[in-house]
Amino acid sequence: MNQFVLQHGKSPELRLFPHLLEVGAKKNGSIQLHAFPSTATEGIRIYYIIEGKFEWRLNHEAYVLYPGDVVLIMPGTSFGSDHGVLEIGSFTWVHLNIQKQENGHILPGKWSGLSEAEGAAIGKLLSLSSSPVLSHFQDAGKILKSIQTELFGHEIGYQARINHLIDELLIQITRHMTRQSHPGRDFPKTFMRLEEVLRENLAHQWTVEEMAALVGMGTTLFTERVKSYSGFSPINYLINIRISEAIKMLKRPDISVTDIALDTGFYSSQHFSTTFKKLTGYRPSEFRNNHLRNK
Amino acid sequence: MKCIITIELGTNGIRVFAFDLNGRVIGSLKGYYPTFHTEPDHSEQDPEQIFITTLYVLKNLLNECIHPKKHKVVSICFSAAMHSVLAVDKNGNPLGNAITWSDNRAKKEALELRQSALGRSIYAATGTPIHPMSPLLKIAWIRSLDKERFKQTSKFLSIKSYIIHQLTGEYLIDHSIASATGLLNIHTISWEPDALQYAGINASRLPELAPVFAQAGKLKRAYQQSLGLGADTKILIGSSDGCLATLGDGVKGEGHATITIEDSGAVRVMGDAVLQDEQMRFFNYLLTENSYVSGGPTNNGGNIFEWFTRQFGDFTNPFDAEQSMQQLIEEASKVPVGADGLLFLPYLLGERAPIWNANARGAYFGLNIKHERKHFVRATIEGILYEIYSIGRSLAEQRNIRSLSVNGSFGTIPFCTQLIADMFNKPVRVRQQSHSVSYGAWLLSATEMGIFKTLDEAADTVELPDVYKPNKKHHAVYADYYSIFEKLSTKLFDEFEAIGNLQQKHAVPEAPPKQKIKL
Repeated sequence: MNQFVLQHGKSPELRLFPHLLEVGAKKNGSIQLHAFPSTATEGIRIYYIIEGKFEWRLNHEAYVLYPGDVVLIMPGTSFGSDHGVLEIGSFTWVHLNIQKQENGHILPGKWSGLSEAEGAAIGKLLSLSSSPVLSHFQDAGKILKSIQTELFGHEIGYQARINHLIDELLIQITRHMTRQSHPGRDFPKTFMRLEEVLRENLAHQWTVEEMAALVGMGTTLFTERVKSYSGFSPINYLINIRISEAIKMLKRPDISVTDIALDTGFYSSQHFSTTFKKLTGYRPSEFRNNHLRNK
Repeated sequence: MKCIITIELGTNGIRVFAFDLNGRVIGSLKGYYPTFHTEPDHSEQDPEQIFITTLYVLKNLLNECIHPKKHKVVSICFSAAMHSVLAVDKNGNPLGNAITWSDNRAKKEALELRQSALGRSIYAATGTPIHPMSPLLKIAWIRSLDKERFKQTSKFLSIKSYIIHQLTGEYLIDHSIASATGLLNIHTISWEPDALQYAGINASRLPELAPVFAQAGKLKRAYQQSLGLGADTKILIGSSDGCLATLGDGVKGEGHATITIEDSGAVRVMGDAVLQDEQMRFFNYLLTENSYVSGGPTNNGGNIFEWFTRQFGDFTNPFDAEQSMQQLIEEASKVPVGADGLLFLPYLLGERAPIWNANARGAYFGLNIKHERKHFVRATIEGILYEIYSIGRSLAEQRNIRSLSVNGSFGTIPFCTQLIADMFNKPVRVRQQSHSVSYGAWLLSATEMGIFKTLDEAADTVELPDVYKPNKKHHAVYADYYSIFEKLSTKLFDEFEAIGNLQQKHAVPEAPPKQKIKL
C-alpha cells in the first residue's frame, strides 16, 4: 500500500470534488508520539483499519480498533489519540464536506445521487448512531480502495464513478449500522428501541422514511410490520405517543399549551388542538381545566 | 342492528371486538402499547398511552364497522389483565406509570410473606397466591420503598379502573379484578382487613367494589360526542381476562378445564367452591358470587418458543418470526414423540405453578450423541407443554377433569393442541378465532341484557367444534418421560438457587442507557 494524503485546495486530484476534503492512506512502522493529536471534526470522517490495533478517542471516549473496523466521525466530534500517539499499523480514510445544517439536518450535497428524503434519512441515522465503530466491515475498505484507484487512474467516467462510490459508502455504512443494532430476529425489541428514540425526540418532525431507516427497513416493509404488530400505521402510532405525552404535560400547570404542542411534535398549537379534540373530544385547555380542578 | 362492543385491556395491547346479538363478530381492531423495563424486575405501562390507545382503537372500530352501517351500540364491556396497580393523586392524576402483573420488584417481600403464618391466612382468605404479581405486595412495596408516592396516593387503582374513571368519572373495581389483588376476601366479597393492614392502607384508598354486570356510570359527554355514541350506551365493568377466557370457552361447573397459552399460560377450572391448597399453588378468582375460576399460571409459554426461534430459527425474511416458527414446527413434527428422550425444563423466566420457584432455570436433559438440532426443537415444545400438563395434574388432585379446551396463540397451533390431547389423554376442543376473552365478555353482556338467564346458560351455548382426539400410544410415551420431567422440576431445587445466585453474582452490568440524542 502506498501512503498518500490528498487535501482539498492543495491537491489537483481533488479539484473536481469540492465535497472531498481529504483522502489518505497511512502505514505506520513504529510508534510515534504527537503524530495523531485530537482535533474537532468538520464534516464527516470515515476511517478504515487495514492492519494493527489502534486506541483512539472520540468525544473523550476510548475505542480500540482492529482490522476490518470502520470509525465514523460526525461533524463536531473531537477525534484523536491520547498524547497524539500513533500506533503501528495501517489505515485509510476520507473526509467528506458534509456539514450539519442550521435546522440540524445532515444532507449530502448536490453531487449525491440520493433523493433528498433518502439523503436526509441517512444523515439522521448516522447522527443517531449509538456506536461510532462498525466491526467486520471489509466492504467499506474495498470501496475506499476503489475511490483511491479512481482518483489516481483518471479513466473515463471517473468523476461520476467517484461520486457513486461515496454514495455507496454512505449507504453501506448506514445499512451496516442498522444491521449491527437490529439483527432482524426480534421485531418486538426493535420496535421497543424505535419507540424509545421517538419518545426521546418527540419534537422532531419524523417522516416514515426516517423511522424505517432507523430500524434498517424499507418503508413498505416497515409500514406493514408496524401495522401488523401494533395495529397502527407508523405515523398514527407516533401521534398516539404524542397525545399520551401531551396529556401528562397538560396535567401539570406549569407548561403552556403552545409549548406542549411544540414539545410533542405538533406544527402549532392549532394543529395540536384539532388532533387532540378529534381524539378525546376536549380541547387541550378544557382537558387541562378538568384535571387541575380539585375534586 | 344492535351490537355489543368488548374492550380487552391486555398485557401487550388492547383488542376491541364488535359482536351482533347472536355472538357473531362484526369487526375487530387491535392497538399495541409498550411495557417499560426501566430497572431490573420492573414492568410498567403508561396509563395515558393505554387510555389514548383505547380511545383511538375504539373510535376507529366505530368509524369503520359500526357507524357506516348505522348499527346501534347497546353496551361496551371491559376485560383486563389482572394484578395491575396504578397510584393516583386526589385529582385522579397518575403518580407514575402503572405497575403490571409481570413486575417482580416485591419479590423479597413476597418470599417473606409466603413463608409466614400471616401469608397462609391471607392466601386462605383471598385465594391469590402470595407472589410479587399480587397488588397486595406491590402496594406494600410502594409503602416501604417509594414513600413519597405512597403519601401522595389518594387511590390505588387497577388499569381498568383508571380507564373507566377517565370515561365515566367513577372509581370502580369489578369482583374478578378485585379478587386478583390479594386484598379481597373471596368468601365474603369484601376487602380483607389483614391484607389491608399488611399493605398499610384502608379501604377508602381502593376503588369501590362492583359485580361484573355492574354499569360503571355514564360515558362523559365529550366522549359521547367524539365517539358518536348515545348517552344510553351501557358501560359494563366486566371481568378479568382469565375469568372471561374460561367463560368464553364454555366452561361451567365441574369436569372441564381450559388451557390458555399465549406468551405465558394457565390451566383453569370453574366451580362453586374455592380450591384450598396446603402448598398455596392455585389461584381462585371470582367471576360471580359462588362461581370461582381456579387454576395455576405458568411464566413459560409461547414466549419460550419465541426465544428459541430467535436464537436458532432461520430468518430468511428479516423480522418474520412467524414464518421461522412455522419452519421449526415442521421440523419438530418429523421427530418421534418424546424427542428420542431429550427433555427440556422450560423455566427460563422462573416458574409459578406448580413449583412456585422464582429461581428455577431452564435445562435440556438426556442428550445423547444421536440427537440433532430438530430434537431440540421438539423437546422445547414438549417441555413447555409438560409444564402445562403438570399444572393440570396438580389440579386433578382436587378436581375431576374429563375434557379440555385450549385457547391462546401458542396453544392453538394444531401441532401443540394435538400434543396437549396426547399428554392429557383427553379430547381437546379449540376456538378457531383466538378471541375467547372477548367472547366471554360478549356472553356476559348478553346475559346482562337478558338474552341468557344466567352465565351458566350462556356458557352452555358455546360450541367449540374441532376435537383433537388423544393418541393412546403417544400418551404412553409422554407419560413415561413426564415422570422424569416431574422429578427434575423439583429435584434441582438447590442447584436452581445456586446457579441463580451465581448468575446474579457474575452478571456483567448492562451498558448504561445511551446518552440522550441531540438533534
